[in-house]
Amino acid sequence: MLGVGRRIADELRAGIGGPGAPSAVRRLRRLLGVRTVGLVGLGGEEVWSGNGLDPRVVQEMVATVLRTDNRAKGPDGLVALPLHTRDEVAGALVVTADGLDRAALDEAAAWVGEALERARLERSAEIAERAELRALRAEISPHFVYNSLTAIASFVESDPERARELMLDFAEYTRHSLARGGDYTTVAGEFAAIEAYLALARAVLGDRLKVQLRIAPEILPVALPYLALQPLVENAVKHGVEATPEGGLVQVNGVAEGNEAILTVEDDGPGMDPQHAADVLAGRGDPNSVGLLNVDRRLRTVFGPGYGLVIETAEGAGTKVLVRVPRFQPGVVA
Amino acid sequence: MTSSGGWRVLAVDDVEPAVGELRRMLDAAPEIGSVRTATDAVTALKLIQAEPLDVVFLDISMPGMDGMELASLLSRMQDPPVVVFVTAYEEHAADAFGIGAADYLLKPVRPERLRAALERVRRFIDTPAPPAKPAVDSLAAVPVELAGRTRFIRRDDVRYVEAQGDYVRLHTPSGAHLVRIPISRLEELWASASFVRVHRSYLLAVPAVRELRSDLSGGLLAHTDVGDVPVSRRHARELREVLLDAATRGVFDGGGS
Repeated sequence: MLGVGRRIADELRAGIGGPGAPSAVRRLRRLLGVRTVGLVGLGGEEVWSGNGLDPRVVQEMVATVLRTDNRAKGPDGLVALPLHTRDEVAGALVVTADGLDRAALDEAAAWVGEALERARLERSAEIAERAELRALRAEISPHFVYNSLTAIASFVESDPERARELMLDFAEYTRHSLARGGDYTTVAGEFAAIEAYLALARAVLGDRLKVQLRIAPEILPVALPYLALQPLVENAVKHGVEATPEGGLVQVNGVAEGNEAILTVEDDGPGMDPQHAADVLAGRGDPNSVGLLNVDRRLRTVFGPGYGLVIETAEGAGTKVLVRVPRFQPGVVA
Repeated sequence: MTSSGGWRVLAVDDVEPAVGELRRMLDAAPEIGSVRTATDAVTALKLIQAEPLDVVFLDISMPGMDGMELASLLSRMQDPPVVVFVTAYEEHAADAFGIGAADYLLKPVRPERLRAALERVRRFIDTPAPPAKPAVDSLAAVPVELAGRTRFIRRDDVRYVEAQGDYVRLHTPSGAHLVRIPISRLEELWASASFVRVHRSYLLAVPAVRELRSDLSGGLLAHTDVGDVPVSRRHARELREVLLDAATRGVFDGGGS
């Protein structure tokens, strides 16, 4: 009996119009031992099991239930009861009562209501998670945009070929940042964005910026969320290179280790107190600088709590940010 | 079907600078004879009906009749020109290929990407067969002179090839061997054996790549177990795509180290 209940709740996961609903009402009809059971939702979606009923009669009863939030009786022992989710009418349960007592019917209606409520919560949690993933997509830094455009403008006359090349890099950088296609890209796609970003950063910072990239070809197809690496590089340039007058070196490494891809972004800048790094990942850092927090949250949302960022740093010792990504994760496809 | 003076091309885009830039790049391509431009679909249609054209570069988002509509009109012509879409958004790609477009370019267009599109167009256009291609598996071993004796270097052992005038140096784990053949000739012969040109003077065996590296000045290097190969900026994008494709096919798995 309890097992049947769980199965019915499970089958109602996608609501009255969902694919599991016909099986759910069949089970419910057998459980109640009646001739006919039906569920009707607010949007007119319905699902039935048992003998056919006069649709006009049913329609009128359901309308009454939805309007009055009270049960409605029809001919031939037919009863319609309101279904509640969050204390609001969400539809109607229609049953040929066949001598069932009132308490049993109320119980059945309350129970279907709860299953629908749970389904609704699960759905909205899923939607919220996806919305969060989208909202967390890192924003383009206005600072960087204006610096890049200024650098490009400066080359228009002196070196038009370079200006044209940088403009194309700028297009690639913004295209990647504004990508609306899917939620995921590949390491190769992310590296293309990193290279476009670095070409622009080099134009802005000149010799102050030194970069070394090393990437093993076998991890190029690994899927990961858009902008999981590029903001880390941007962060390293901002804090490790721009902040010091003599500039600095940024190193980006990507290797395969067993079933994981290990990617690191390292700068030799001023570093920070490890406690500060921990604060940043805990959301207690500077609210204007959420790049790392943002990447950390998205990686954990997609790959699980074990796949957050690892930051190795100390005052005066540079900063190294480490990303681990499963090489093959079900559902994560670029 | 083409006139002897090269392809007759029409570029259509409602944004004047975009069509101007495309024209500039197309004018520079050797296979193209003439370039006409139009800034709306109706003008484009008139031009297409007035004179035979081989290729149409078509913007999708235009006021009035858009590029998709124009393309589906063209596809009903008896001898339609080859269509290449040029657009700012990626979302139309599937539709574009559904209509039978040869390629789909994103704006702004990089010169090397346009070059790849022209190669695809070439396959669509009915040109006389090029001079007989070399056999698929030609020169699987290369004779070299070593201390007065002839030895054979297996192509599969070559990690990369370096041009030196009329000679090339074949870099293998057993050393570098000088052979008299132009690098462009070897590129043709070995193209089907996973060798790609990554630089004016270098030909690279794709499976030999252990790492992609950048040096401090931003230049790209392909690291192999017998040395680093410089990758020119022009070839960097193509190499990354070739490597991505090879990695997806598992070429680098189980290779050890």
